[in-house]
Amino acid sequence: MMDSITQKAGIIAAVAFGVVLVSSAGYSSVSAQGLPEGFKKGDLSPEPSADMIEAGKRVYFTKCVWCHGVDGAGDGPGADRLWPRPRNFNQGTFKIRHTASGELPLFDAKKPIAGQNDLFETVTHGLPGSAMPPWEGILSEEQRLQVLSFVTTQLVKDRKFTDKQSETQTILQLADLKPKPATDESKKRGSELIVEKKCVECHGMEGRGDGNAFNLKDDWGFSIQPANWHKCWNFRGSRQDPYNVANIFRTFSTGVNGTPMPSFADNTTVDERWDIANFVSSLCERDTLGNPLPIDPLTDKPKINFVIPSDLVEGEIPADIEHEAWQKAPKRIVAMGGQITHKPRNFVNRIDDMWVRSLYNDKYIVYLLEWDDRTKSVAEGKLPWAPTQVNIDVKEQDPKTGEEGSIAAKQNNYTLYNDAVAIETAVKWKELPAPIKPRYLFGTNDQFPMDIVKWEADGSLRAFKGTGWDKDFEERDNYEEAMKLVKSEWKNGRWYVMIQRPVGNKKDQDYDEDTFFEVGQYIPTVFFAWDGHNGDAGRKMAVSAFYYTFMNPPVPQETYIYPVVIAVGVVLLEGWVLTRRANRKKGKTL
Amino acid sequence: MKALMSLGALIGVAGLLLLGGMVLDVVPSTYIRLVEGYMPIQMLLEVACYVIGFTGLSYTLNAMGMAIPRFWQGIGFWVFFLLYLKYRMYPPIPFSVRAMYGTVSLVAVFMWVSASEEDWQKFKQPIMNVLDAQTGGNRLLRYLYLVLLPILIGGFSFNAMMPKSEEPIELRTVHPAPPASTKVHGKTYTLQTSQNPYRVNPEGKYDQEFSNANIVEQGMGRLMKPNANPWDDKNQGYLKYVREGGEIFYQNCHFCHGDNLNGRGLHAFAFNPIPANFTDPGTIAQLQETFIFWRVSKGGIGLPNEGFPWASVMPPWEQHLTVDEIWKVVLFEYWHTGYYPRTWD
Repeated sequence: MMDSITQKAGIIAAVAFGVVLVSSAGYSSVSAQGLPEGFKKGDLSPEPSADMIEAGKRVYFTKCVWCHGVDGAGDGPGADRLWPRPRNFNQGTFKIRHTASGELPLFDAKKPIAGQNDLFETVTHGLPGSAMPPWEGILSEEQRLQVLSFVTTQLVKDRKFTDKQSETQTILQLADLKPKPATDESKKRGSELIVEKKCVECHGMEGRGDGNAFNLKDDWGFSIQPANWHKCWNFRGSRQDPYNVANIFRTFSTGVNGTPMPSFADNTTVDERWDIANFVSSLCERDTLGNPLPIDPLTDKPKINFVIPSDLVEGEIPADIEHEAWQKAPKRIVAMGGQITHKPRNFVNRIDDMWVRSLYNDKYIVYLLEWDDRTKSVAEGKLPWAPTQVNIDVKEQDPKTGEEGSIAAKQNNYTLYNDAVAIETAVKWKELPAPIKPRYLFGTNDQFPMDIVKWEADGSLRAFKGTGWDKDFEERDNYEEAMKLVKSEWKNGRWYVMIQRPVGNKKDQDYDEDTFFEVGQYIPTVFFAWDGHNGDAGRKMAVSAFYYTFMNPPVPQETYIYPVVIAVGVVLLEGWVLTRRANRKKGKTL
Repeated sequence: MKALMSLGALIGVAGLLLLGGMVLDVVPSTYIRLVEGYMPIQMLLEVACYVIGFTGLSYTLNAMGMAIPRFWQGIGFWVFFLLYLKYRMYPPIPFSVRAMYGTVSLVAVFMWVSASEEDWQKFKQPIMNVLDAQTGGNRLLRYLYLVLLPILIGGFSFNAMMPKSEEPIELRTVHPAPPASTKVHGKTYTLQTSQNPYRVNPEGKYDQEFSNANIVEQGMGRLMKPNANPWDDKNQGYLKYVREGGEIFYQNCHFCHGDNLNGRGLHAFAFNPIPANFTDPGTIAQLQETFIFWRVSKGGIGLPNEGFPWASVMPPWEQHLTVDEIWKVVLFEYWHTGYYPRTWD
């Protein structure tokens, strides 16, 4: 009897000790086994069945081969005009994982479970900011697992997912780690830690990916840029959930294999990693109330509103961005794509969005344009063409790697031109019946031209008339004096440019060349941007769709009068209905 | 019967909870996916499910002695339908279209509640009760309406009159009428009689049956036929050209039209009109191959005005590709989506 009790007590004590041991192992920074905090050892997954692999081959050669190539070396026909390039599977190097730095990612052909199957999640959600689309809804779950079975067994050639001799799995236990609330205190600590841990050396002082931006290379020798923390929807590991701090926590804990981004698991505690993740996430663009921007599920980018409202200010339009009027002015995101309509096409546009605000007074309208550009580029010496020239000698990227003009050969190696931005508005837009407009690319013809205001990083601000995509601009006499460059500043990876131009009227301005900005009207507006570091010049640039500048009119008096009249009418109507009903009940008829 | 109705009730409650979740943004509206290209039929089926669910729910509540008056049933269903259109449908339907659907469904609800004289009496009874104000509660309600109605209507009209900057609605014709012929690289092609020179069998003869037998299979994933891999080096004829067309597609077109030809490419988000979705049964599946040849060659700038040539960023591909390359790309697009080009007969 006595014996059995002591035995039991002994067992309980041993179990308790074991529990303490195990739990403490999980929570110290580095455990007895040498695991970083938050990680646990895991087992390698079993090899997928031969059927799965064979079925996956069919998926691969229908959908994936076009970019990833016949041997999975990331060299398909589409590869060489893409930046970032498609993954080379051969080395088994995968970016987004729950496993420790250098290890293979989680993949189990039988477990399509979020958080336990990295490759499945990558195929499901795609890699935002690259050409890899989300395959959910296109391929079934089964098909996604099949194609991954094929890729992991046949195309990963230098490593083996089932080899216990060479492979280990040290898995971040993300589901068990509770995110720390994003308090001001946590974010402040995060902001100190990113300096202390040297994050800012690559990601830049404001996290726009501008620190050491063009000296980094990936494992294959291709140039690579640090992430811009302000565009979380472009984070490769955002899993279509860009404002979720857990995704940042994961990337920070496991590092990005094949790139200079290391894992910080060994030199930060879990608590510190949450602080950093909270701070990085807080930098991502938000609306004026601090809420995440609404994301369009069709594009996985912020939703777009094609109207750029301009508010009226009395007197001079302030030049200071911190001024109340600018702070209150509605801010719109303008999506930019590469100009890929006419040669030279720009397959890799470095500028993919721009933030626009506008204010106006009785004489002028001012646009405040802000966009992220990792470098300030100003051409050295005189450019070999005139500012009005459109058909200039800029080659578009050849479709094959290794060719002299290919993107891979040229990246970071272009002749430096000026960063630039242009606002293009329709001239005589009222003469065209809506919705007809002059063509977005430099106007239709002489009859329906575009009014183009272009700023370049050398400090010039010029006005042109565009009469067609292949026609050189016509310089406008005297107009430049009417315009004003209120501000142009490059700071920590972002340009701030404020351009003032006259609203125009029939009396003083040239009706055939000027856009007249009329209050309360939709004025067709297009934006262009050039990244001088990317060799952008002439038609090699980023373009937006048609937006509308809308100068908000002052509220007219009728707005206050008519609703009152209507309300009184409703009261009378009510009285009539009630009287009628009462009379009818009493048997009277009207 | 009872069991069946309880099941219906269960469906109704589950459906309502789901929709409620979507309205309150707890459940994403993509929780149950609307399959691309099948959205309208899926929506009709879903609404039918809801109607069955509501029938069951109403029956069950009736049996439990908690019947909902006809008046509230009518209003409830209408409100349900409006919420369904706004929060469930994706891509979102513009307000003008929702208003049209809303009006139609309102008429339908009226027809339902006024199907017989008895039903109509039952429906309007609560309104009459409030008008007559026999009880204290109804009297309170009546005064509340007297005050609230003018304020609400006045408020709405104020909101409507306040100057706003909403995006102007611009309706674009996606497939404008083609010309009779088109001149590309110096040669004139009559749309009615031209053929894709690469739609050929291994012997090199134009053979639509052969090519149709080798396109990808319809159904989830649209995968290639097991023995028709364009990447097989032994291919001759059709499949060889499909591969060549694919190479051109992935060097030039996927930036907008997407890796899966669904119009969701890397640059697509920046452009308006959005790039065409070839997997949608309403695009290339409805058109002749020569129509595509014309559209690809001439691009956005070659569209008539109803196609918005000023805004389309579709390149006039004759500036970038040869005639042969254009035909091969067209061939690839049909292969990859698993559609047949329409023929003239």
